[in-house]
Parts: sequence; structure tokens; C-alpha cells
Amino acid sequence: MYYLIFLLTLLDLLAIPVIRNEDPVPVYKTGDNMAWVSKNYNDKDWSETRGNTSDKIFWSRTHVDLRPVENELIPLGLQINSFGAFEVYWDGVLIGKNGQLPKNGNPEIPGTECSYYRIPNHLISPGLHTIAMRSSQSLYPDVQRNIGFTINNYETLLTNPLITMAYMNLMAGAFLIAAVYYFFIYLNSKRRQKDILIFATICLLFFTLLIMEYLKFHVMLPYSEFFVRLEIIGWLTFTNALLVPWYFIIQFNFRYGKWLMLALLLTLLGLYWFNYGHYDLTARLYSLAMLITAFIVVLNGIRQKEKGGFIALAALLASALVNRLVVYDFGLFISFTIIVLSMLYLHSIRTSVIEAEHQNAVLLSSRLQLELLKKNIQPHFLRNTLTSMMDWVEESPKDGARFIQALATEFDIMNEISEQTLIPITKELELCRQHLSVMGFRKEMNYIWDQKGIDETQLIPPAVIHTLLENGITHSEPLSGNTIQFVLQYSLSKDAHQYTFETIAKNRPVMTDRAGGNGFKYIKARLTESYGQNWTFESGSTENGWMSAIQILK
Amino acid sequence: MNIVIIEDEARIARRLQRMTSEFFTDRPHEIIICDSLQKGLEQVSRQIPDLVLLDLNLNGDNGFELLEQMVAASFHTIIVSANIDKAITAFAYGALDFVPKPFDQERFFKALTRFVSPTLKPNEDIKYLAVKRAGQVRLISISEVIYIKGAGIYTELHLNNGQHELHDKSLEYLQQLLPERFERIHKSYLVNFQQIEKIIITPGTRYGALLKTGEVLPVGRSKYKDLKNKMV
Repeated sequence: MYYLIFLLTLLDLLAIPVIRNEDPVPVYKTGDNMAWVSKNYNDKDWSETRGNTSDKIFWSRTHVDLRPVENELIPLGLQINSFGAFEVYWDGVLIGKNGQLPKNGNPEIPGTECSYYRIPNHLISPGLHTIAMRSSQSLYPDVQRNIGFTINNYETLLTNPLITMAYMNLMAGAFLIAAVYYFFIYLNSKRRQKDILIFATICLLFFTLLIMEYLKFHVMLPYSEFFVRLEIIGWLTFTNALLVPWYFIIQFNFRYGKWLMLALLLTLLGLYWFNYGHYDLTARLYSLAMLITAFIVVLNGIRQKEKGGFIALAALLASALVNRLVVYDFGLFISFTIIVLSMLYLHSIRTSVIEAEHQNAVLLSSRLQLELLKKNIQPHFLRNTLTSMMDWVEESPKDGARFIQALATEFDIMNEISEQTLIPITKELELCRQHLSVMGFRKEMNYIWDQKGIDETQLIPPAVIHTLLENGITHSEPLSGNTIQFVLQYSLSKDAHQYTFETIAKNRPVMTDRAGGNGFKYIKARLTESYGQNWTFESGSTENGWMSAIQILK
Repeated sequence: MNIVIIEDEARIARRLQRMTSEFFTDRPHEIIICDSLQKGLEQVSRQIPDLVLLDLNLNGDNGFELLEQMVAASFHTIIVSANIDKAITAFAYGALDFVPKPFDQERFFKALTRFVSPTLKPNEDIKYLAVKRAGQVRLISISEVIYIKGAGIYTELHLNNGQHELHDKSLEYLQQLLPERFERIHKSYLVNFQQIEKIIITPGTRYGALLKTGEVLPVGRSKYKDLKNKMV
């Protein structure tokens, strides 16, 4: 219950103002006369506008009507929101100063925009009272800003904003930690994901925004810097209004992200331009533009069935609702917090997706390793080889011995490369030649191996050319002279390394579709493992036989 | 004797050819080697052989496609393959034998011996009979077959759903492939023993087997005694 009351007080819903007349209007007079301090001085001829007071001293008088106050509210305090440097008189009694008025040729020392004064207990009878202020406003002489008065329990006036700030600082601390944490993640990750950087920046900016909002409690801010602070807050909101939708665009794979961002940027700049000087309104419009853009991206994300779409939508709705219902100062922060929390959640989803991808990559790698090893022990290869070997041994032991030697060498190379993801091209070529020699014993064909333009410093995923060679052997019939020729050619262009592998032979008629063959799957998986998306693979029949081309993009 | 070897490994094909020649050394024979499935199919449709030696993994194509077509034909098929895990399937489809690679002469001769001696049955049970109908090969479960009737160069499979299918294999070849419970009760009839209700004698001392389906099939004079003994 206490908390509820606190919260409602926080939201300014419960307090009955001590000042009965709404918006008491001050009247001004330029000049300096201590007689103007008196409660009952007749100020009928004073002006409701101050005019440009230059560096002169001027007075203001304001009549406030107090209601009877409860004992808990005593002692009463007066909060004044005003520019300038001034002395404050309550019913003719000096109750405090803000800054220093110009004196003996010394310039004004500016006061701060919001100041607090204790009202003497004997001067709080219900009815009319006069607040007279002896002021100067030499730093913003032409700025007409109304003077705001709030009367409440003195202690409450001083402590309430601090309590609010404490809660806001709690939030700020959380954002600071998040910012630092995600910056570290970004800096230490190999992949340097943009979304992490954006998220960290959003957290940092939001931390700064909160600190700026409550800056007046940290440092004495002269009224002359008042607009600078608002300007900073404005630009922080501006940047966040850009970054939040950007983050969603990345998370939800929004296709026309660049255009949307451009539109958003132009909108924000437009808002800044047309509402220059209306800080609160501009900030509100910024966050509205941000919400609308984010809605577009998130709704599209839901349509694309992206993970976390509904969570983000719920957060945006809640945020819009809070923005609409709660007074701006808190509303902005609470709605922002909701959005950032949803972003944090999205991030955790993404992290788990990346984790799963990584797991899969590791799994794929070990699967490919296994597949490579299996090439030589799978029954079709091994048992056919052994059968041929039996025959050679029985018929011609010397050749049989050579055959065994060739097979042993192929096994050795396989064993050597099996655990690597990239091997020197020379190793791969050695493997191919050894394989050809084994197959020569088996198939008793005249295999010719040709290589052109090989750059011996290049690396290649293991057994990729070997797989093409296997396919060539399996799917080709010899030409006259019982020959099948294989030609591997390497070329380097501006943006790619290219290997073309040609089988010069007659293609065997195919009875089943070859496109999805295991060999091709292996090659593609190996290329993906080492080069991600940066490769192409094509394979097809030609006049002379069969041609495959692998491009590794730079 | 007409033998087709379908094997894409030249060395192994020659080995099969040499051993086959050696086995059939005392009788006239012709051996044709095909190094691809396509060529194999063309060859057996051009000239029906007596025996096909078939490698199951042929140039990456599924040898079982060919196997289905082969076992539906009139000749016997012996599988010579590296895919030893396919042995049981090969027998189920109706291969006469499965010679796993690598093989020596002894193992291969055993398979050829099985081919030349009709009384030797395969190691594993056949599960299906493949029949060709309108160009399509259909597998019929052995449990559906009640009896088989020789009809010239074909055989008629009589099934428990009352229908019958034509098979290209002779009664002798089918008897060799089918399990023991298929009895030759007559020179033209091969019956699932479990389907016989009783043996009856019809006037003129002709013997007949009354089936559970109510059909009566003739029983050969020479088979009667055997059958009678088994029935008791």
C-alpha cells in the first residue's frame, strides 16, 4: 500500500496543491526599490511582462492564495522554477537567495533554474501572501520564461526528486552495466556483430540520457546552461530513436531497412527543424516516430515468422501505452526501459540461435571429417579394391605388391588430411594421383592426369578435387585407347580463385538423377565450412565429357 | 550355357569371367561382360541368358532396380557385391546366391554349384516373387502364393485372393528358390504344403490334392507316396 501511494505521489496524482489560485501570475517592474518588498505594496500598475531587462535589476511580485495546511505539511517549502539570480521575500521577509545579483560593478552570478526555500512558520496563515523577488537575468535578458511556484512540505520538496532520482539511477546503473558488458562482448567477439554494438550504444546513450535528466542533482547548473542540457537530451533521444528501429531491422531481417532508416532520419531531422526550441514536444515526437518505425519492422517480422516477434510487439504496445498515460518525464524512461528489455530478450534469443549454429558448425565439421575417413573404408571402395587386389596377387604378385603400395599411400594421405579443414593444394593433387593409380589397378584403364596453372601456395578443403575425380571415374566411359583424361586448371581473377576440373571421356547414361549426389553434397558442405557463402560450384556435361568449376570468392 | 556378368570393375569382371570359364570348362558356354547397368539390361533383353552375375552397386545407380527386373526374368541371378549388408534383401527378392566381395574361387564355385544343382536351396528365405506385368515389376509376397502351375515356358502363380499372375521362371527354377514347404506334387504343380487339406483318390486310381480353397490338383504317381508320408 505504501508503495502504491508512493508511486501515485510519484505520478503526481494524489497531491492537493497548497496554492489555491492556479498559475499565480507574477507582475514585473524594472528598477530597484526595497519598498517593493512589502506584502501590501500596491502593484496594480506593474506589468505582466518583463521585457528586455538587459543587466538591470528588476522586481517581480506574485500573490499566492494558501489553503489551510495540515500539520504534517509544516514546515512549508517553496520551490521556484525561474531563470536569473534573485533574492526571495515572503511577505516582506527575505527567505533565500539564488545566485548573486550584480553589485558594485561585479557581474551577476547566475542562479540555478530550480531552487527551494523554507517559508517561516508564522507566515503561513490561509489566504493571500506575496512573493517578491529582486532579480536580474543578464545572461538571457530577452528570454521570457514564466516563474513557477510550488508549495509543499519543505522536506518533501527536497527529498521527493531525490527519491525519484534514486530509482532512475538504479535504472541508469543497469543500463551502464549492460552497455559496458555488451561493448566488451563486441570487442572480444570474432564476429563483431553490428547489432551488439548498436545495443551497447543504445544502453550507453540511455544511461547518459538518465544522468542528463537528473543532472541538476549532481551539479549546480546555472540557468544559462539550462537549454544546453535540454539540447543534449534532445540529441540523445534523437540518436536512440534512430538506433532502436535499426536494431529491430537487424533482428527481424527487415528487407528495406536502408530506406526505412533514411525515411526515419529525414523525419527526425524534420521534427527537429520545425519544432526547434520546443524540447519536450520534440522529444515526444521523436519517440513517436521511433515507435511507429519499430512497429513497422516488428509487424513485418511477425509476418516473416521471425523469432521473438510477438514479444517485441507486446513490448512496443506496452511502451506506447506508458508513453501515452504517464507524465512525460517518467513515461519516456519507463517506455524506453520496456523496449530495451525486449531488445535484451531478443538478444538472448539470437545468442541461443548463434550458439546452436555454432554447435551445428562443429557437428558439421566432425561429420565431414568422418565422411572423409569413410571414403576409404566404405564397403564399395574397400571391398572392390580388395577383390581386385586378390586377383592381382593371384595372377601377378609383383603388380599386386605395387597395388598394395599405392593403396597404402592413399590411406596415408587420407589419414594425414582427415582432421584438417584446409590443406595445401599440393597434398590434394598427390591424393588425386594416388587415387588414380589405385583405380588404374582396379579398372585397368588408362587414366591421364593433367594440371595447369596450379599455384602451389593455395589451400583447399580436403578431398574436394578427389571427390570430383571419383565422380569422373564412376560416371565416365573411356574413349578409344581405353583412356580417360582429367584436367585440373587453376586461374586467379580479380575477385575469385577458380578451379575447373574437366573429365574428358564419354559420359555414361544416367539412370538416376545425379544432381543431389552425396559427392556434391560433400563438396558444398566443405566449401561452406571454410568459406561461408563466398563460393560457387557448378557442374555439368560438356562436349568433351564433364566439367566442374569451383570459385572461391575473395 | 549363356552367362552375363554385369560388373563395372574391369579387373573383377575378368576375375569372374576366368573363374566361370574354369567352372564350366567341360561344357560349351558363352560369357558376356557388361560394365554398366544400362548395358546389362540391354544385353539380357536382347538375348535371354541362363545366369546373370550381378554387382549390386553399379556406377552409383541402385542395383536393386535392376535386381527387381532380373529376378522377374526367367534366368537365375547371383549377386556379387561389396554391399554385404544387402545380402538378406537380395535373397528376399529371389537371388539364387549372394557372393560377398572380396571372394575367392572356393566361395564363387559354391554359388555356381548351387546354380547347377537344383536341389540346393539358398541360405536365406525368399520373401517375394517379382512378376512383370505391363512392363512394371510387382513384388508378390510368398505368403500369398497357394500353388504354382507350369504353363509352357511360363508359370502361373495362384494367389489366396483368387487371382493369378504369370511368372517368367520355370517351375524348376522357382522350386529351387522357394522354401521347403512348396512341394512338387506333379510335374506341372508346385503347392504350398500348408494349403493341402487332404490327399484324395479319384476313380481310375488317379490321385488328387484337395486344397483348403476347395480346388483339387492332380498328384503325380511318383509323388503320391512321398506326399502321403508327409501328410501323416
